Amino acid sequence: MLSQALWWSGVAIEILLLVRGLRGKLASRYPIFYCYISLVLFQEPFLFAAYRWYPQIYRNVYWTAEFLSLMLGCAVVFEIYRVGLSAFPGTARVARNVLAFLFALALARGIAEAWTDPRWWMEAATTDIEGALRAVEALAIVILAASFLFYSIPLGKNLRGLLLGYGFFLSTSVISLAFVSTAGNQLRHFLSSAYPASYFIALNLWLAHLWSYSPNPVPAASVRLEQEYQRVAAATHRRLQGARGYLARAVRP
Amino acid sequence: MIGGPGALLVGGLLLFLLLLLGTRGIAAARGLSSKSDLPLHDDAAEIVPCPPEFALQIFSRADWEFASAIKSHKIAKLFRSERKAVALLWVRQTSAAIQRVMREHAQATRGSGDLEFTTEVKLVLRYAELMLLCGALFLAIQSAGPLWVRGVALYADSLSQHIADVQQAFSATTARREISSIGSS
Repeated sequence: MLSQALWWSGVAIEILLLVRGLRGKLASRYPIFYCYISLVLFQEPFLFAAYRWYPQIYRNVYWTAEFLSLMLGCAVVFEIYRVGLSAFPGTARVARNVLAFLFALALARGIAEAWTDPRWWMEAATTDIEGALRAVEALAIVILAASFLFYSIPLGKNLRGLLLGYGFFLSTSVISLAFVSTAGNQLRHFLSSAYPASYFIALNLWLAHLWSYSPNPVPAASVRLEQEYQRVAAATHRRLQGARGYLARAVRP
Repeated sequence: MIGGPGALLVGGLLLFLLLLLGTRGIAAARGLSSKSDLPLHDDAAEIVPCPPEFALQIFSRADWEFASAIKSHKIAKLFRSERKAVALLWVRQTSAAIQRVMREHAQATRGSGDLEFTTEVKLVLRYAELMLLCGALFLAIQSAGPLWVRGVALYADSLSQHIADVQQAFSATTARREISSIGSS
């Protein structure tokens, strides 16, 4: 009963989100996110039809839809990165380098595991593969959120909502998917109901933050010359070095 | 591919960061107009939350010896607790000053198109090292008091000096052997 209520109200919120997005011209500013919401909304009738009238193909239809939304979800992460760091090219480069390192690490680990245990790809459940991909996606959002926090990047209401909603949904998905294949019946039941509940919370976060357009604040001035950056970095290095000396002098003789 | 503990770690970390973003986002957006992105001045190089002489005094044995010479248990106890509170406050202030340095750096450079990945990583590592040091100092003072910290520092200092002496002697011996073997060949 509760899951039915969540499902129907979820569909209503998705429609409302799309309507507000089109009327407030938000869809043109965050096209990938609205594509993602559209995909989730329009796959619902197909999934329902398959479940009701063609149960033999439901599993395939479900996982195809799930992977399509997973791929679009990755694009949503890219959109957050693109919009959030558009005014901060240097920070964007640092985030890009960390992300590239992370993906290379994940790829290397995947190859190493497939090399040592080639049966993994054949024996792994679809949930395992989805869990691994979602985990990489979650790590990418961790890097983005850490960059936003570390560099005090100002986020507008829309982008903050997008990040909070998608990040929340992703974090609960990662935790659920990691335990769903090994959990007992009771825990599995709980996890399978936590998954749609977290998506419902994400939808509400999006609706609250994406009701109308709110621009991202842009800093007034920026350091442009290379020498300026080098000077600031050198000053910071000196100050941290000074702090180290200060700490050591106080404690040591 | 990713186990339960790994997933918990990633998911938990993401939730924590989102919580920080949610709470700090509004404040950061409000404070933007008052904060400048202009580069740091070189004269802001000092990082002194309190004068160095004062900081030296916190970990000094002289006051403790004076207080213990009175031979009053109450005064000794009061001195220990007061000194501990001052030392903890000093660590907190120093840690806050270090955080301010990094925050100012991030705000001054975030818009720069020339931000260098390696320089930033080095600064973050140095910052992490200092924060770890402050954390370790805080824990040590909290659990054993500032005088013990100074005792450990003195011991570590003498130990490192001893190691340096041994290392120097070893290098000198090796160099002499190399020179003599070259001479004999």
